[in-house]
Amino acid sequence: MLQEIKQQIARIKGLGATYVDARWYPFEETQGLFMWNGNLKDNTYSRESGIGTRVLYHGAWGFSASSDLGDLASLFSRAFDNARIAATRVTFPVRLADKEALQAKFASPCKIDPFEVPLADKVSFLKKMDEQLDQKGVEQRISNLDFIRKQIVFVDSEETEIEKRITEVFSRLEVHGKDAQGVTHERKWRVGQQGAGTRGWESIDEELFSQQSSRIVQELNQVLAADDCPKDERSVILLPGIMWLQTHETIGHPLELDRILGYELSFAGGSLVTLNDFGTLRYGSEKLTARADATLPNSPGSFGYDDDGTPCRNNLLIDKGILVGAITGRQMVEEANAKAGRKIFAGSGGCNRATAFYRVPIERMTNINVDPGQDGTLDDIVKGTERGVVLDGERSWSIGSNREQFHFATEIGWLVQDGEIVKVVKNPTYKGDTLRFWNSLSAVGDESTWQVGFVDNCGKGQPNQIMQMGHAVPVCRFDRVTIGE
Amino acid sequence: MKDSILQTLGQLREHALHTGCQIALFYHEEDSYLMRFANSAISLNTNEHLIRLQVTAHDGKKRASFSLITDLSQIDEMKRGIDTAAEMVKHSQPLTYQPTIPVYGETFVDETGYDPALTQMSNEEKLRYFNEAAKGLETEDLRLSGIFSSGANTVALINTESEHALYFKTSDAQVTVVLADATKKWEVIAEQSAQKRSELDPGRLQQELAFLVKQHVTVVPQQLPLGSYDIIFGPAATAEMLGTMSWIGYNGGLMKRGYSFLSEGEVGKRVFSGKLTLVDDPARLETYPFKVDFMGIPRKRYPIIQDGVFNGFIWSQDEADEFGAEPTGHTVTHESMVVSGGDAAISSLADLVQLPREKDILYIPFLHYMNIVNPSKGIITASSRFGSLLLKKDGSVGIPFNVRLTQSLLDVFGDKVEWLSQESVPYNTSASYGARNPTAWIVPRFIKVNDLEISHSNPSY
Repeated sequence: MLQEIKQQIARIKGLGATYVDARWYPFEETQGLFMWNGNLKDNTYSRESGIGTRVLYHGAWGFSASSDLGDLASLFSRAFDNARIAATRVTFPVRLADKEALQAKFASPCKIDPFEVPLADKVSFLKKMDEQLDQKGVEQRISNLDFIRKQIVFVDSEETEIEKRITEVFSRLEVHGKDAQGVTHERKWRVGQQGAGTRGWESIDEELFSQQSSRIVQELNQVLAADDCPKDERSVILLPGIMWLQTHETIGHPLELDRILGYELSFAGGSLVTLNDFGTLRYGSEKLTARADATLPNSPGSFGYDDDGTPCRNNLLIDKGILVGAITGRQMVEEANAKAGRKIFAGSGGCNRATAFYRVPIERMTNINVDPGQDGTLDDIVKGTERGVVLDGERSWSIGSNREQFHFATEIGWLVQDGEIVKVVKNPTYKGDTLRFWNSLSAVGDESTWQVGFVDNCGKGQPNQIMQMGHAVPVCRFDRVTIGE
Repeated sequence: MKDSILQTLGQLREHALHTGCQIALFYHEEDSYLMRFANSAISLNTNEHLIRLQVTAHDGKKRASFSLITDLSQIDEMKRGIDTAAEMVKHSQPLTYQPTIPVYGETFVDETGYDPALTQMSNEEKLRYFNEAAKGLETEDLRLSGIFSSGANTVALINTESEHALYFKTSDAQVTVVLADATKKWEVIAEQSAQKRSELDPGRLQQELAFLVKQHVTVVPQQLPLGSYDIIFGPAATAEMLGTMSWIGYNGGLMKRGYSFLSEGEVGKRVFSGKLTLVDDPARLETYPFKVDFMGIPRKRYPIIQDGVFNGFIWSQDEADEFGAEPTGHTVTHESMVVSGGDAAISSLADLVQLPREKDILYIPFLHYMNIVNPSKGIITASSRFGSLLLKKDGSVGIPFNVRLTQSLLDVFGDKVEWLSQESVPYNTSASYGARNPTAWIVPRFIKVNDLEISHSNPSY
């Protein structure tokens, strides 16, 4: 098959294409087990294989994909035809940043292949979790296991050939209950890591899950008995369970270079950032250093090589508050540098990824992380807070089309008064303007507070694509934030 | 093609009969085309032809599914998929209820929603359409973006309980045209949904865009003060908010799980504005309807809200099985929701700006990134986007920066509704995550709702 693909790449090159690549998925398998109140509602397994090819012709892209590998010539010709018509309407001819020709392999860290674990063991695990969650105050209990296993072979017309084997494990526990007014509340926990170790079946640590199930049930009951969150302005202390989403939505998405350049304007939106801002914009306070680090040893945002065939990198995005980088692939860095009239980006950041063989690669987050700081533990930060609220667990999130403002609701809040937690509150929300918010960052927790959250469902692009990634974030405090609306 | 698909499903059913399980097969075939525009260029031009087969095996109360992307020629691969599902179900866990497996009494074939002229549009024709929609409007600063998404969608079902099958084939197109100022950052949108080729009208899009562009280039945008506003919503905003109700409103299963702002005690009572009527109407081809659901239940006109009275929850078969309810013919991948028009003779943006008014009115065509803040109270939050207008009481038109609404749907569709326009339009709500599933709501072109709070107001774009 590989030889046939290479022949087709050569044939399309011969027709005048400046670049051709193909991603062949010999297999992609997913398994999903979803238990709701003791019912195994989903017990699913899927397998797919196919090939997607990109053709660059006269500065325009064409793409085509099929699960039918019996007629590769037609598939590549369709992609070429798509590029040919696209080339009739070009405003900035696509060109790709240089990359080295590579022959490489990558495998994500995995000790026990989750697909080799008997189904009965997985069901038994969920049943045990479900029984542990079945406690007073809990009306809905959810537990799930999701596994992905795929082999991707990337070949391009620049002599690059990469084989990747990726294994992912996602899991969560979730409980819902109703308060005295009949309003539903929820508390959840997802499996994550410290950025080290492996993420096969071995990451389903039963003892850890049991601890977490007890915690979320206890906290749900605290919420059910709590008063409503006040409506005022105060410091908010974000635990990693909500800090990851804050980072994702208001650092990750606005710093995708295709958004900045207007390629997502008709759907996902634009960005508050312009090309002029790189190197000068004070995105956050001096305590903020953020990066797109796809070299973290263990995370869905670490994948060896992106779907342009570029090695994963650790890209600085925000350095002590100043915007210095973006989430980039080969195409967009060239266009950005040309439009800016200066070299903002030295090369591709290795962030171009597609969700499946039948989707085209676009700039996606890798691990969008905030570096740990020097403001101590969570206790230290609380002690240093005069009037605040500690928040955790995403419940709702809505962000402006240029990522310029946001509104989040969280699962639980703990009011802080004079350096002490005084009580739990329910229905907490907070909102803000992105730049003002990050510039109000007044404390960043140390490494003891730093956790990696795994994300299994970030949506972007047209046709829509779901992508997996990670966020390693510490506890952070922001001042003068509006809460309770 | 239909005969080939049904014949293949028949062969697979024969194989399934030997597994000792009850087996249901769900076949999905899409022929998808998407031409995407950005920065006045075609930024992407794709097509995908994908066939998915989902095999669900039942063994008493146990259930398991295996799915694969395949090809009609791969009959052995599909048979192996059946065997895999049959093996998986042995290790599954019994549900606490007995899931229903339908017995189709007759084969049902519906291709009335399929127009080959739409699905076979060439690349050149789509480009011509886009060029006409943006004719005379693009400049160095004013950039074109959007999508022309079209395709054919085939769904077919068969199971071991009878030899009969269900077969549906539709064609669809979703067009979004955006013009955005590269430096000032304002953006305007016009959209079209089509089930057949003749419904495509680039001239209408051009008129709408030209009107909006004229407003935006001549008026300095402003930050709105926070507070209460009378708001007119366009079809995108209306469809988005009502679509949220299909989650946290009238969905029977989610209500039982505590995820609804409606209760069983409210059935038969007036909960919404007396001007609001919402019906699931599979007779409307613009909604890419299923006239029979996947359990074989004929789908009839099904009023959910009639003159503000909540008529009842909808139930898919699985949720009905679990909670002991009667299924309502809603085991489908999408409904055919239609909101009745009202009595306001306002059918265009030009009519809108001519509207007599005693106070400022905010027009919001589109809501961006809606999410549910509190399902029990029906509270949603979202920001305006794509060409909001401030219809000032002095008759002039202003351009507001985007604003945020955080409101209960009970308020938005309650007694604060002043009027609905007479004319209704199909609004395409299709997403392209996973398998193609063309979906559209039919909603009034405009709905006016008074006294809604703006909770955040942008100082710029």
